[in-house]
Formats: sequence, C-alpha cells, structure tokens
Amino acid sequence: MNRKYYIYIFTCTFLVVFFSCKHNEGEYHNLNDKIKAVSKTYHGTLSSEVLIDGIKTLEITEGEHTFLIPERKSQIKSFACIECHNVGLDKLQSKDIKKAHWEITLAHADENTMNCATCHNGADMNSLNTLTGSKVDFNKSYKLCSQCHSSQFEDWKGGAHGKKVAGWAPPRASYTCVNCHNPHDPSFKSRWPSRYNTEQVEAPQAESGH
Amino acid sequence: MSEKKKWYSLDLGLNRKKSDTACGCGKTEGGCGSHKPEMTDDAFLEAAVNASIGEEVRKDGFEQVFDVKMDRRSAFKKLTASLLIGAGAVSTSCSVISGDDTKEKAQIDWEEQFKGNYKLMNDEEKKATVDRLMRSYELRTGKNISMTHENAEEDVLFGYAFNISKCQGYMDCVNACIEENNQDRNSQMQYIRIHEMKDGKGFNFNEADDNYYHEVPAEGHFYMGTQCFHCDNPPCVEVCPVQATWREDDGLVVIDYDWCVGCRYCMAACPYDGRRFNWSKPEVPENEINKNQHYLGNRMRKKGVMEKCTFCVQRSRKGQNPACVEACPTGARIFGNLLDPNSTIRWVLENKKVFRLKEDLGTEPKFWYFMD
Amino acid sequence: MRRFKVFKNLVIDSLDTITKGSRKYHIWMAFLTFVMLVGMYCYSMQLQHGLSVTGMSDRVSWGLYISNFTFLVGVAAAAVMLVMPTYVLKDIDFKQSVIMGEGIAVAALIMCLAFVIADMGGPSVLWHMIPGIGVFNFPNSMLTWDVIVLNGYLFLNLSIPFYILFRRYQGKVPNPKVYIPGAILSVLWAVAIHLVTAFLYQGLQARPFWNNALLGPRFLASAFAAGPALIILVLAVIRSFTSFKIEDKTLNKIAMIVTVAAQINIIMLVSELFKEFYAPTHHSESAYYLFFGLDGKTALLPWIWTAITMNVIATAILTIGKLRKNLKVLYFCCALLFVAIWIEKGFGLIVPGFIPGPYGKIIEYLPTKIEVGVTLGIWAMGAFVFTVLAKTAIGIELGKLRYKKKTS
Repeated sequence: MNRKYYIYIFTCTFLVVFFSCKHNEGEYHNLNDKIKAVSKTYHGTLSSEVLIDGIKTLEITEGEHTFLIPERKSQIKSFACIECHNVGLDKLQSKDIKKAHWEITLAHADENTMNCATCHNGADMNSLNTLTGSKVDFNKSYKLCSQCHSSQFEDWKGGAHGKKVAGWAPPRASYTCVNCHNPHDPSFKSRWPSRYNTEQVEAPQAESGH
Repeated sequence: MSEKKKWYSLDLGLNRKKSDTACGCGKTEGGCGSHKPEMTDDAFLEAAVNASIGEEVRKDGFEQVFDVKMDRRSAFKKLTASLLIGAGAVSTSCSVISGDDTKEKAQIDWEEQFKGNYKLMNDEEKKATVDRLMRSYELRTGKNISMTHENAEEDVLFGYAFNISKCQGYMDCVNACIEENNQDRNSQMQYIRIHEMKDGKGFNFNEADDNYYHEVPAEGHFYMGTQCFHCDNPPCVEVCPVQATWREDDGLVVIDYDWCVGCRYCMAACPYDGRRFNWSKPEVPENEINKNQHYLGNRMRKKGVMEKCTFCVQRSRKGQNPACVEACPTGARIFGNLLDPNSTIRWVLENKKVFRLKEDLGTEPKFWYFMD
Repeated sequence: MRRFKVFKNLVIDSLDTITKGSRKYHIWMAFLTFVMLVGMYCYSMQLQHGLSVTGMSDRVSWGLYISNFTFLVGVAAAAVMLVMPTYVLKDIDFKQSVIMGEGIAVAALIMCLAFVIADMGGPSVLWHMIPGIGVFNFPNSMLTWDVIVLNGYLFLNLSIPFYILFRRYQGKVPNPKVYIPGAILSVLWAVAIHLVTAFLYQGLQARPFWNNALLGPRFLASAFAAGPALIILVLAVIRSFTSFKIEDKTLNKIAMIVTVAAQINIIMLVSELFKEFYAPTHHSESAYYLFFGLDGKTALLPWIWTAITMNVIATAILTIGKLRKNLKVLYFCCALLFVAIWIEKGFGLIVPGFIPGPYGKIIEYLPTKIEVGVTLGIWAMGAFVFTVLAKTAIGIELGKLRYKKKTS
C-alpha cells in the first residue's frame, strides 16, 4: 500500500519534470556558430532587381568586391561639361562672360590641401583627375575620394559605410560617395531633429528641465 | 476555409442563409412579419451585429452565441420589438443592398473575432484572414488597402548593424518608422529610441538622454539607437501565454495583434525596451495611413494589444530595406541577410569591431553595434 | 438524483441564510455592494477608454492590479497552514477554523483571477488562453503554469470544504478517506501556487530586481505570515459577531505560525538588503530606488519605510510570547503585519522591478483613481464572496442548516 503510494508520487513527479523541460532546438552553441553553419548551404532566391529597375547603374569591381553603383553622368544637369568648357579654363575667366557655378564654394579640407584642380582637370573638364594627374571618369568619382579617405573607402567597399540604393537583397547596389556627400562641402550639418523623441508619458519630465 | 481547423470556430450559418435572401420581404414590414424563416435570420443578424459593433460590446460575445440559437418564438418577439423601435431600422435590415453590406460586415467581424492564431494557420487560412481584413476596411471606409501575408523566405536570417560613430541624432529614422508602420499618433508611440550619450562616459544609459530637444549633433555627445533587437533566443516569446508572439524562420520576432490578450508579460520580459502597448485606441489620420500592409507588420492595431518593430516585415520580405535604414541620412544603419556570405551585414560582422547590448543575458540579439 | 435534490436544497437554504441577518450584517453587505458597483463603473470606464486610464505606461507596465494579484496568491496559499495540521496531522484545534481558511483561499483566488482579468488589455479574447480552444503556451510560459495551478487550487479549495459541508448538511460524517488525499494534495499545491507565482517574476532576466533566487522562498515566508494573520483577524470578527466557537488555543496556534513566518521573512529581508547594499552593482539600482530614491524620484520611500517599520515592530512584539498571548496585542500585530506585507509584496515588489527601465530611465508610477476604484471593487467582491461562504459554512457547522430540517 505504502509502496504503491510512493511509486505513484514518483511517477507524477517524473512526469511533471519531464514535461516541464524546455525543448530547445539547441543545435548550435551561439548565434555566430549557427550563422556560419547554416550559411554554408546558402542559395538565396530573393532578388532586389525589380527595385533598382529604372535606375541606371554600372558594375564596379574593387578588390574582392563587385557591386553596382548608380550611374552619375546622366544625373549631372549640364553634362557633358565640354559643351561650355570647349575652350581652356583660363579663357573662360574673363569678366564679361556670365558666371556659372557661382554658388559653389569649396568647404573640403583647407585651402592648402585642396582646390578645384585637385579633382577637376582644367584641360579636360569632361573627366576628373587624380592627384597624380591620371584621368578618372565622372561615374567613378569614388576613386578620387579614396585617395585620402582610405579607411572610409575600405568600409564602403565592404558595406559598412554608405547606403544601399534600394534593398538588402542581391544584387548589391550601393550609393557612391557623391550620392550622400556634396563633394564641394562633404560634411553633414548640424540641424534640428526631424521629430522629437517624446512619448507623452515622458513629457512632464521634459518640461521639468534637464 | 479548410476543413481541418486547429481551433474552435462557430458556424453562424450565414453562408447557408445567403442562398434564400430573395424572400421579397423588402416591400412591407407586415409581409416580412409573416415570413418566419427570414425572421430567424433577422433576429440572428441583429445579434451578430450587436456582437460585432465594438470591442466594448464584445465582452458578452458568448451570450450572443447563445442568442443566435434562439427558437422561432423568441425570434418573433425580437422582430416585433424591432418593428416597434422603428420602421426605418427594420427597413434597413430588410433592404437587399444595405442588408447585404451589414450582413457581410457582421460575418467578417464574427469570423475575425473567432479566428485562430496566425502562427498556426496554413497559407489558405492566412489568405482568408487577410482578404477579410481588406474587405472589412473597404466596407468601413470605402477605401482599399493592400495587405499581404508573405511567409519567411528560405535561407534568410535578418540582421542589423548600427554604426554609433555615424549616427547624428537627426531622428529621420523615427519619423520614417512612424509613417511606415502606422503608429498611434495620439500617444506618440515610437519603436526607435535614440539615446544621446556623453563622450567619455562609455555606454552609460543612466546618463544618456533619450528625450533631447536641441540641435544635433550636440558637442561632446554620440548617439545610439535602440529598438526591438529580434533576439534569436527571445525571452518575450518564451513568456507569452498564448503564443501570440513568435520568432519567424527569417528571424523576425512578430506579433499576431488579433491573438494577443494584452497581459504585457512580454513587456516585462524584454531586456531591451523593445515592446510597446496600445494603452488606448491607436489613431492615425486617414490620409496618413500607409496602405501597403502586412498582416504581421504595419496593419492597423487595436486597443489593448502589444506591438513592436518588425524590421518592417512588409518591406523586408520583398527585398527592401526597413524604413529606418532607408531614411537614415548618414548610413548608420545596415540591414541584410546574415546567411548570405556575400552580404554587407556579414562583412560588417566579420571585419568591424561589433558588440551587442546585454550579451550576458543570452538573448542573442540580431542587432549589432560598431564604430568606424 | 437525490444528490441534486439535496444540492438544490442546500443552495436554497444558503440563499435563505445569507439574505437574513442582523442590521450590522445588512449594512456590511450593502456597503460591499456599493463598493463593487463603484468598481464596476470604474472598470467600464477602463473597458471603454483602454488601460490608458490607469497610471501604467510603457515604462511601468504592471501596477496596482498585478501587485494585488501577487499578494493575494500568497493569502490563498496560506490557507494550507491550517489545512495541514487539521486534516493531515489531525490536530483537533484547527478543525473549526480550517473551513474559514479555505473560504479565505477561495475568496482570495477569485480576487486573483479578477485582478488578472482587470489587467488584461483584451478581456474579450481571453478564450485564447483556454487549452483546447485557444493556444496554451505550456510549458514555456510561467503564466500558463500559473493559470493551471491557480484554477487547480481554486477547484481543490472549493471541493474539499464543499464535500465536508455537504456531508454535514445531510447530518453525515465526512469520510476522511475521501478528503485526506485531497488535503495532502492541496498542501503541495499551495506551495506550488506561490512558488510558480514567484517564478513568474524570478524567471525574467530582464529585471534584475526580481531575478534572484530568494524571491520564491521569500514569497512563501511572507505569505505564511500575511495569510494566517488575515485568518486570525477574520476569526476574531467571526467570534465576536456569531455564535461560532473558536477557542483561544486555536488563535494562539495560528499566531505561532505567523510569528515563525514573519521571523523567517525578516531574516530573508536582511539577506536581500545585505546583498544589494554591501556590494552594490548596476543591478542594485532598483533596490536603491525603492529604499532611498534615485535622481530625486522618491515616490515609494514613504510606503516601503512604513512597511518595514510595521513589519519589524509586529515581528518583534509577536516574538515575545507573553505579548502574543494577549489577544488585543495579537490582533494589532496581525493587522500591522498584513498591511506591511501588502505594501512590501505589492507596490514594493512589482513597481521597482520596472524602475529604472532597461535603459536606466526612471519613470514613476502612481495609480489613478479609476485604478484604485477597480481595486477596491475587487477587494469588496472578495469580502462579499467570503461573507457568503462563511455565513453558509457557519450555519452548517453550527447545525442550523440541515437537510430536511424543515420537513421533520
């Protein structure tokens, strides 16, 4: 009688404990292991090609990274430049010609480091030139930036710096430097936030002053 | 609706009754009164409408269920009562066109009230509920929304990285998030919080200010955004008593707003302040509603349910970036597929010095921070 | 068939008893009804406008309701302190009071369930939680465990006294073979309900204030102090208003239980305070907020210090045997202890768990009038339920209520 009782209690306890154990998948020790293991058989199907449809892009290969960047020349209002710059720059500097590009002031590094000619080639306005004077296409203006901003360039190539054109899904299409930074004034400016971080519950706290 | 249901549901017989709507009772009330089977229908309809007018009335939904099973005598009583109340009301319920609309509305509300958990639905059932919700919106406002129910894509695990040296505190992400996700404008709900931190103090949230009111970036400060981290081992999912929140195969932690009972246990369990509760009825001006919706994402919520960031499931499952990523002017937010070895997020994780918040809790957030 | 008839008669008789009584009784019941109506009105406001009418927010998402729930689970669990000696150890002293204890447990459990429902955002979809019809996240969610143990305990505490009273009503002697296994089970069950409720909080790694191993045992200790303290007070009232006989010996024995539990509770409190303040870490901030305030936010200070003072005074007095035997002092101490533990385990436990928030934000919580109204309404409901149960039970125990008494 007594023994039966004990067996009964034991069984009940066992059942309760058994069912209360959590059944986790627990295959991997941590998230990194899981990512590494699962991605070995990666064959993604989702594509963001539809999203970048209608945006002119060109493919570039830098180091081990190959990706798309937006085409630039068609975005520049008065390209090709030689339509105006058909003569040498020195000849355009006379006072009686209507001024173009008057709104551009260079706020990029300091005067000792940079001036217009650091990037623009007075003799061939249709393309840019590097510090050593070799030609760079307007579409690949990032090559100029990368001369000084090498760490940013590394990050950009990998994807840690900059933004994607449309989506996360392959093929990768990243904005290039000049899509976010004005090359003549590249820094982000101080401004008011576009919305305040206020929840109503916190409003009284905000009023009482910080 | 499929035959194999995983939950309890009520067949109101509306579908059956629809076949004999041509009773010609629209002419006179008296003529209608002698038409007994139709009466049952009317009385029943009234019960169904009552039960579905609003959440407040819905609390006695079960009583209404029993009302439905009334016999002809009580149906007759009910109809006489409604005749006395006013011919107008009766004629509305009897007239063929508006009657159909009300009937459909009632039917939709009824099925919505007693539908099952989205997590357990098969694709047909998912489609059925999404169609119902779209139709319901159309019946109520006369406008169309598009709601989808895409499932998790195979070989996708979403991850997010946040560059704390890039964020300037402009709050464009918050702005975009609110507009994209139809968040309650009344309570100013925000999924994202941007913490303004003092340089040289480390990640000292106690001294951080998530309520700043000045031009940004402020001198001597850096900014750190938090939102739902979509943990791989989410404590909020564990504690939910009704499985109204779960982790999808692509790593998104989502909520079925219609299944949530509002106990807020998940809120207490979340170490990252990632969850929000609708303390009152959420309101979004009609012209500001984002009509591209996903069942698990930005569709309209109700009073008394949880909601949270879903990495914009309505966008990310189509291959787009979440609204916050797209809106960020500084490129501080990086989003992608952790399982794709060539994705930029993987490059960040493998090449930058990344860390996560409260890693010691074992929640495995899929939201990393890094610096230039 | 006959049983149904007896049951019908029992219901009729008990309705008869509970509607008759002295003037004081009627005033008491009218008062409770009034408070319940006020509570219902407040609840209807809450249903209409949502939980925004309460003082809770995204930062402090549980408040007065869950505080009271936690406390009352303890009160319900404490009924076991009377069940155990009576049914299992056959200690004759407790026999009269045990029915009262179980009555309190039933009332407390009903209040618990009412508080949980009041706290829900969507009471209309509560059927999602019913196993079979809805989806029950068992065993992962501690809340589902709590639902099971609370309802099971409610069932046990309804069925055991019902069986005993039902037999007595018919003039028969209850069969110990039927109720003793139930009583043993309810002893284990009572510990379970309170531990599970503690685990509800203890299992949250997000809230360091709750996430400590002492929480469960401390819940038990404080429950076994507050619950029997309430039972003593109730028995004192019953003794003075009805002819139901309760001996001093019984009260003294329960007082003993209260004393030991209160002492253990104090020891655990000291241990907790030591851990939080001797080597304070980042995780001690909630305790700092509770006892000393943080950043000038001090809403809980008066409450917690009142509670601790009352707790210590009551325990000290109870520890001295001579004073404990003086009934007036005993009642005073029990009242002190009850209120102290209500504060400590309600407000003092739930609210600081959320303060500071996950990112160190300090948003204080104060219940609104509507919240207080609903809370009072639920307490009134509990008192009402208990009064009805106790009146019937006393009638049967005294032999005033008997089946076929009228016919004979």
